[in-house]
Amino acid sequence: MIRIEDLNYYIAGNPILEDIQLEITDQEFVAIIGPNGAGKSTLIKLILGLLPLQDGKIWIDDIPHLEWLSAHPMGYLPQREEYDRRFPANALDIVMLGLAAETKLGRSFTSQQRERGIEAMHTTGCIDQAFKPIGGLSGGEMQRVLLARAIVGGSKYLILDEPESSVDQPGVQDFFALLKELNMQGRTIITVSHDLHTVSAYCNFIVCLNRRLHCHNQAEMVNAELIQKTFGKAVRLIDKGY
Amino acid sequence: MLYFFLIRALLGAILSSVSLALFSPFVTLRRVSYLGEALSHIAFAGIAIAFVLGLHTQAVTLVFVMAVALAIGRLSQKYKLEEANTITIFLSVSMALGIILISLRKVYTFDLASYLFGNVLMVSTSDLIVLGVLCLLSLGFIIFFFKELFYLSYNFEMAGFYRVPVSLVNHLFLAMLAANIVINLKAAGIILVSAQLILPASTAFNLSRKLPSMIAVSAIVAAVAAVGGFAMSWWLDLPTGAAIVVLEFILFLISLLLRPKQ
Ligand SMILES: Nc1ncnc2c1ncn2[C@@H]1O[C@H](COP(=O)(O)OP(=O)(O)OP(=O)(O)O)[C@@H](O)[C@H]1O
Ligand SMILES: [Mg+2]
Repeated sequence: MIRIEDLNYYIAGNPILEDIQLEITDQEFVAIIGPNGAGKSTLIKLILGLLPLQDGKIWIDDIPHLEWLSAHPMGYLPQREEYDRRFPANALDIVMLGLAAETKLGRSFTSQQRERGIEAMHTTGCIDQAFKPIGGLSGGEMQRVLLARAIVGGSKYLILDEPESSVDQPGVQDFFALLKELNMQGRTIITVSHDLHTVSAYCNFIVCLNRRLHCHNQAEMVNAELIQKTFGKAVRLIDKGY
Repeated sequence: MLYFFLIRALLGAILSSVSLALFSPFVTLRRVSYLGEALSHIAFAGIAIAFVLGLHTQAVTLVFVMAVALAIGRLSQKYKLEEANTITIFLSVSMALGIILISLRKVYTFDLASYLFGNVLMVSTSDLIVLGVLCLLSLGFIIFFFKELFYLSYNFEMAGFYRVPVSLVNHLFLAMLAANIVINLKAAGIILVSAQLILPASTAFNLSRKLPSMIAVSAIVAAVAAVGGFAMSWWLDLPTGAAIVVLEFILFLISLLLRPKQ
């Protein structure tokens, strides 16, 4: 369970997140939606400990989040991963980073660990790319590699920031079906998304964020009015088949 | 006697080039090649401080450059400064500081050229031992922390997220790099040190696709260039360091031709 209490976050004095209260129970499939600049990435980076907490509390399984994170694996797929296409790594090397936390300083990965890496790549459907250099992967292929990295450590939470951004439309359906499967296997999934259609088909909990939380409710209960409230002007994009 | 002198200088040239070459793939991959350049210039201020205070040059410079390297790491991590900018500021201020300090010492016995370009012929037996130890330490460091250095170079933030101890390993990396630069100043000089931190890896990138073989190719390229450059300097009476760098560049050009087509 992830619990966020009285969270505020400022950048240079400007409020980015205000008065966030949120509880995510285990095995939910949560979508965070909201317009560009709403603070979605900021919120998940705070949960992941990638940004320092300024005001408020985040608890994971009733433990302060940083303490929890230092003792447990956590799966994260960033909105955009910075990497050099010429970096001499193959896809499996990148997946293996997900096991670095459980591997002692100065030790290389064991063959059992590499097996787990391969297995994760099977699960996310990118096994054919395992030994290809990362520079040769398409955006969608890389996305599956990064998903494999996020799940290989066995984290019960999986946090994704716009995973559909570099995937084509049929690919998005496959990708969410895969997430749903991981969810059915018992993982709690939190994904940021702009794809309302897909999100309402797969998620059971939608959080509308635009600096403040506008609604967080069962997916069925999110109606056009609430989405309108969150997105404001941006909602017109939806009318145009967004 | 001459024979001993020659062998010592040749070994000095090889160890110096190879120890720098071992770091060059990481320096290049992490896009911190300007850091190598900056640290070698920053060493100038260290040399000047030692000169003015009449202290042991290498020891003072080593402490000074390590401190600055760690400070750069700290500052840019803490304040999220653009590392390139921080480094350029440190670089020029250090050079200015060095020149001011040296000018304060009225008697001008300072041999600037030898610090700019180095001279393997000045390498003493004890220097050679230090170089040898440095080479072994560098190799040991890279082998032991290979996994960490690999992910750190791939993406610092994500490596940190997956709990690679990025800060520790980065500080060790900076300290080792600083030590490499300072200890190689005598043999290679301020200007040539930075060339040798970039060229071997650039060549290796064209020839190899895996990091371990890149490191090996870098070291081999550097050793070949050191031997070749040394021979050239002996027969054609050229400055050794410069000959080594030119040879490394020629090897780089050849590797461009050999590079597999994409
Ligand atoms: N480093 C930064 N410096 C200044 N402002 C920032 C910084 N990072 C984020 N912001 C601001 O914080 C706000 C929230 O950013 P965030 O990245 O969380 O938005 P988002 O909801 O993820 O948007 P998107 O849908 O475009 O990914 C934005 O207004 C952005 O301008
Ligand atoms: Mg975002």
